[in-house]
Order: sequence, then C-alpha cells, then structure tokens
Amino acid sequence: MTAALWVVVPAGVRASGEWIDDTLAERAREKGLLARTPLAGQFPRQRVEVVRHADPDAAVADLFSRRGWTDGLPIVPPTLARVDAALAWSARPREELLGEIAPLGGVATLEKVAANSVMAGCRPEYFPVVVAAIEAIVDPAFNLRGVQTTDENVAPLLIVNGPVAPALGINAEWGALGPGWRANATIGRAIRLVLNNIGGGWPGAVSFAGLGQPGRYTLCVAERAHDSPWPALHIELGYRPEQSTVTVLRAESAINVTGGLDELASVIGSAASLFAMLHEGKVAALLAPFVARKLAREGWDKADVKRYLHARGRLATETWRRSWIHSVVRATEWPAWVTQAARSQEIPALRDPEDITVVVAGADLEVPQHAYFPSWGHPPCRVTREILMPDDWAERLSERD
Amino acid sequence: MVRASAAAERAGVPSVSLVCEGFIGQAATTAAGLGMANLPSAVVPGHVDVQTLEELDRNVAAVTVDGVVRSLTEKPPSPPHGAKEPAPLDVVFAGTFDEVNRFFYENEWSDGLPIVPPTGERVAEFLRFTDRAPEEEIGVLLPDRRSATVWTVAVNGVMAGCRPEYMPVLVALVEAMADPGYGVEHSGNTPGAETLIVLNGPLIGELGFNFRQGAMRDGVHANTTIGRFWRLYLRNVAGFLHHKTDKGTFGNTWRVVLAENEAVIRKIGWTTIAEDQGVTGDSAVTISRYTGGGVIASVFGTTADQMIPYLGDAIARDVGWELMFTVGMATGTQKPLLILSPVLAETLAKSGLSKAELKRRLFESARIPAWKFERYLGEWTNLVPGRPTLLELVRAGRAPAVFAESEDPGRLVPVVCVPEDITIAVSGDPLRTNAYSFAHNGMLGFPTTKRVSLPRAWKTLLAEVRAR
Repeated sequence: MTAALWVVVPAGVRASGEWIDDTLAERAREKGLLARTPLAGQFPRQRVEVVRHADPDAAVADLFSRRGWTDGLPIVPPTLARVDAALAWSARPREELLGEIAPLGGVATLEKVAANSVMAGCRPEYFPVVVAAIEAIVDPAFNLRGVQTTDENVAPLLIVNGPVAPALGINAEWGALGPGWRANATIGRAIRLVLNNIGGGWPGAVSFAGLGQPGRYTLCVAERAHDSPWPALHIELGYRPEQSTVTVLRAESAINVTGGLDELASVIGSAASLFAMLHEGKVAALLAPFVARKLAREGWDKADVKRYLHARGRLATETWRRSWIHSVVRATEWPAWVTQAARSQEIPALRDPEDITVVVAGADLEVPQHAYFPSWGHPPCRVTREILMPDDWAERLSERD
Repeated sequence: MVRASAAAERAGVPSVSLVCEGFIGQAATTAAGLGMANLPSAVVPGHVDVQTLEELDRNVAAVTVDGVVRSLTEKPPSPPHGAKEPAPLDVVFAGTFDEVNRFFYENEWSDGLPIVPPTGERVAEFLRFTDRAPEEEIGVLLPDRRSATVWTVAVNGVMAGCRPEYMPVLVALVEAMADPGYGVEHSGNTPGAETLIVLNGPLIGELGFNFRQGAMRDGVHANTTIGRFWRLYLRNVAGFLHHKTDKGTFGNTWRVVLAENEAVIRKIGWTTIAEDQGVTGDSAVTISRYTGGGVIASVFGTTADQMIPYLGDAIARDVGWELMFTVGMATGTQKPLLILSPVLAETLAKSGLSKAELKRRLFESARIPAWKFERYLGEWTNLVPGRPTLLELVRAGRAPAVFAESEDPGRLVPVVCVPEDITIAVSGDPLRTNAYSFAHNGMLGFPTTKRVSLPRAWKTLLAEVRAR
C-alpha cells in the first residue's frame, strides 16, 4: 500500500524565477561534493510535490536529504497541512516576502519559511519566532552574505525575550544551550534550514566556514528573566515587558567559562576576541543566575558588569602584535581605538562596554558558569525584532493538546 | 520601467531601475523574461505616489541610494540557468480527478475552478483540429518568455473545458496574444483591465456561440470555455500569476467571448468588427483590453437624434484616467467599445445612420470640458508628466487640433482622437433597448484581429464530433 504526501518544496526561488538549486548543483559538482547530495537540483520546479511511498515520511526525509535540503538530521515532511498549521500562527499572507536570503537570493516568503520550520520540527506556534528571526537576519546590518560565505565559523545566535519565551518552552535554565528542549532545538534549526535551502549556504559549495560549529545546527536561547535581578535584554533595548523579541548576533563558537567575572574577562581579553577587535564586533555573554544574584546583592547592575568586563577584558599588546590576524591584516584596517591603545601595554578587546550583550541564563546552580560568544564580521550588529503572535495566542496555546 | 532599462543596457548604457517596494518580484521576473536577469534595480520603500517629498527624500537617502551605488559598482551574480520545465510529453502527475485538480491548483496551474485533466489522449484529439504541428511556435510570450506552441494551446484548451473543435479559435487567439501590437507584456499592470474577445464569422453559428440574450454571461459552452482558456493561457504560458507578475490592484475575472449578431448587421447594412479590422469572409477573433464599463439601460427614442446624446454621454462618462490613451501618454490609442442591442442598432439604422456616420455622431456627442480632461491627465493623477494643457499638447504636435478649438477651459473636447476610434458591436437581447459601453486600456492591450484558419478536413472532423 502506498500513501501520498503533498509537500511544499522548500527550496529557494529567486525573484526572477530561477531555482537556486541549479546554481547549487553546479557548485557541488565543481567541488566534488555530489556524494553528499547525489540528487542536487533534481526535483520538479513546482510549489507542491506529491511523494507516494509505502512509508512516505521516511521517503521524503531521504529524498530531501539527498537533494541537499537538510542539515544532516532527518526532517519532518513539510506537508501542505503542516505548513498551513504553521502559517495559521501568523496574520500575514503566505506569499508575503520577508526578504531575500543571501548569498543566492532565494525569496523568503512566509510559506517557504513555514515549510522549513516544519522540516526543522517546529511546532506551529514557534512560527512567529522563526519569522521574527528571519526578519532580523535579512536586516542589512546582519551582513548575511558574509555570515553565509565567510571562512570563519560564525552562526546566528538567537536570544528570545518576553512572555512568549516561557510560554513556548524556550529554555533558559538547565542546559539552555542544549540539548533537550524542542523549541530551542527546532527554532534555531529552522533558521539553519532557511539559510541552507532558501539562501543556498551549502557547506563547501557556497559556505566556506572552515570548521563550522555545533551552533550551526541550532543556537537559540531565552533569557532567564523570571528570577533575574536585572532588566531583561529587550527592556534594556527599549521594548515593553509585555512585548516579546528575538535578538540576533553573529556569534563564533560558545566558550564555556567557569569562574567569576575575572575569569570571564580573561577569556574576553584573549585571542578569541581578535575578530571582535578588528570588526568592532558586538559579543554576548551568558551569565550564571547565581552570579547575577550575588552581584546584584552587592549593588551591581548589568551596566556595571559590562563596564567591568570591558575594563578587564584586555589583551597584552604583545599578544595582539604577534597574532596571526595581525600578520595578515593591513595596519590601517584596525580601528583607531585599537592602534591608539597599542601604544600602551594593553588593548581593550572591545570598543565599548555596551558592545557586550549580557544575558542571564542557565541552571540555578551554585557554580559560576558562563558562556562567551565572540563575534565576527562587519558591521557591528545586534538586531532585534518583535515577535508578533496572534492576538489570541495565549488561549490557543492553552487549548492545544 | 524595467523594459526601458533593458533597452538602455542593450544600447550599452548602464542602468539602475528604481522599483517601488511592492514591485520587486515583478521587476525581477520581467528582467528575466527580457533575457537580462541581472538587470540591476534599487528599491524605493513603499509607493512614491503617496509619500510627501520629505518622506521620499528620507526613503531614497536611507535605502535607494545605496542600491543605486551597488547596482552601478558591484559585479552582478553569474547569469541564471534556464528554468527546467517538463517536456511536452512528460507525465507530470498521475492520480484521480480530484488529485489532479488539487495538484494543478496547488502548483498555480489552475484558476480555482476544476480543470479537465490534460491527458495525452485529450490533447491529441484537440491537435486533430489544426493542420499545424504541435511543436510549432506561434510566438514567445512575456513575462516568462515561454514558447507559445500549438501543443500548449491544446493543453490549456483541454484544461479550460473547451471542445476539440474550438481549437482553430484557440490558435487564432494565441496568435493575437503573441502579436506585438497587442502588448501582452502589459497584462499585469495595476489597473487590471481584462481582455474581451469578439468573434465574427461563420464559426459563430457552427460552434454554437451565444450572441443573443445574455451574450456576455457565462452559461453557453463555447463563449464560456474559450473565455476561460484566455486567462489560463495567460497564467500558464505567458506567466501572469497573483502576487508575482500580475500586479492588478483589483483585477477582474475573465470575460466570456462576445459574438456579434451578424444577421442583424447584414440586415441593416453595417459591417462587423472583424470587417472593420479588415477581415472579410472567414471567421476572425478580435482581442482588446477594457478597463471597465457598464450597461446603458433603457435607451429611449425612435430616432438617432433622441438616442445619441445618451449613448455619447455614456461613452464620455466611462473614460476617466484612460484619457491618457486619448492624448498625452499614448495619443490615439483609446478605443472605447459600444455594444448595441439589435433593436437599438436597427432603430439607429432606420434613422439613416451607417456605422461610420454613427461613429461620427458619437464623436461629436461624447465630449467633456477641457478643464476636466486636463485634470485627469495631470492633477488627479500624475500619469502625464509636466501637467501639460491640451493647448500645449496640440501646439507641440502631440494632439489633434480638435483639442484646441478655443482657449476656453470650458470648451467641450472629444474623448477619442477620431470617430473611427469608437468601436461598435451589435449583440445581446434582440428586443431590449439596452447598450453597453467599455472604456479601453489603450496601447496596453490594443485591438488585434486574427483570421481563424480551419484545418483542411474541417467539415469532416466537425461532422465526426457532432455524430458522437
């Protein structure tokens, strides 16, 4: 017995009507990467395809993998019904454009993004978060072309704030950076699938990150706001408490730091931050709730923490001068504040305290456990978009199974 | 705009098209259809028509300028690859009737009504009704630059629910669609005008077209399905799709084929539209795009003198912004259509009016004040740049002298350039004194007539399908 699945084709189509997979198949062939995607470019150029098979879910997952439409993990087939269920969480029409996804310029319509969200395993109610994140990464300030094509191992880091985060189960506590929580796992993955399928960021063919990083599978975290002593990130950025937002940064691999602010500052003031120095980047630090509360009791606020990390996060000028990046970059490319500081013994790793995004996250452990995300790329960027949920979202969530 | 840029680029002049936000997709598709997929454009946020100069300044400075600079300084991406489409004989889908319909609809190949699945067998049956080879290219249609083959005519004819014997009419329609004089590439423009097909000749009777009561209403097979074919062909071959290449703000649905009452026309000694367009003897289709119109109910009177003021008023009233096709933007391309019921045509003829004389009388009657004409062009709209007066346009040789008979802004001026620009058809309920007036979309859907070529075995083939 065969069964049929009606699936929305998730691949990118440029505004002029070409499918980016024709370019991708050519690049993959040139680079000898067809073993990974033996069916690259081989699919009907249609909105909807029908797959008939005794086990159609498995058949679609396998087919999509061989066409190059996955991150290597199995996907959920984006059936019309599942895509419609995701779209039902947005008030916007399915054909509306969120933007073009660099570098190959597939058009991110709501429907294409919904198809990729379904594939990533998102529940329908996560869709507004995915949409807001896509709106953030297509902001020119995010430099998506750079993120997608650079040899550096950068990935979008999604920080979710506001009432939507706990309501959707976006984890900010035990193991906030993973694994185990569906929302974190699939929302970040949806962004990756959009970058891969609509933007064409195929590793080795179009995307030249040398090593990549685990955060390229998913990198989505919420701020632990309910018992944080400080205003949450979106409040700092001028949003109201009842609003929900997603903030996106260009992040290099997370570095775990166990210890106090001094240990964190020592990691900031290291070779890990050289690209942030060069590009005047905006970095992120996830701060242990235990440390945040202790600091707050001592009278510190977030701004004090940032000032402290900025002041202590310095590189020895000699370390900078001997670095590989220093050897390959023209002297004039360094910002003036770096070259001025280089006249002394130490150079701040970051231009300004406000370039450090401080977010409280993690378990309520009596262990000072932080994560530092260096950044890569021009221009300095921390892009925030509001998550627009349907008016009746709370009721709809309470009614779901 | 994009078409102008393409012409400039072909002449070796670098271009950047400034494209309002809502039109980005259409610009890219149009550029690809012109064979210049890399034609650069720069986005202007929103729509310029509703922005103050300050807002426009801000938007241009914040967004557009960067796009202009990048377009002129960056290397465009490598040229695109041809769209991969199924070959004519590929089986694109197998399934039940319902599944086929769902599949075609979900892939934007259908207008939302059920289609007849275009199976190989059905297509072959249509192809018997033309002597042309299936692969013969009738033309190449923008915006998708797809080849309009005889095969695709048959496929869309099947889908629309036509009968095989309509095939010669369908081929003639696509010949007209592909005629550069018609301008199919404009079919996605924002006013969303719709084509009306007029059929003349012996095929009206042979294929059973309605030309009596309800002539423009769906419900008669030939009129209805051929009207539907037109829009399916625009969708599937030319490539006009909602939210993409079709930017009709509202649009309207396809129109059923209008057939003329040729017996009445003969009786009163007038000519058919096809004859006015130069085709005699054979059947012919005439296509033309009309923006809209309306019925002229209860035309009262026993003489032409009593009837003409009302008819002329209707023609003048229905032409508004479309006056830019009369004078200004595309001078001399405004061709309004007046459909007379047979009883009205007969009454006018009884007053001694030939069709040409009727046109002359309507030309005299369908007039509006010059000040109002000028407002349509350059105050209520911005369709004609520089807000020229009619006097200035006449002086510049851009309008006939009839628009400058005095300097009085209250003087009456015609809504077409010459009497011949008024098209007249005879159709509808033979004994009701109603007429219908259509304003015309000018050069963006110019009247185009094609003779219908019948296969050599027409009579035999027709007899064969009739005997079934």
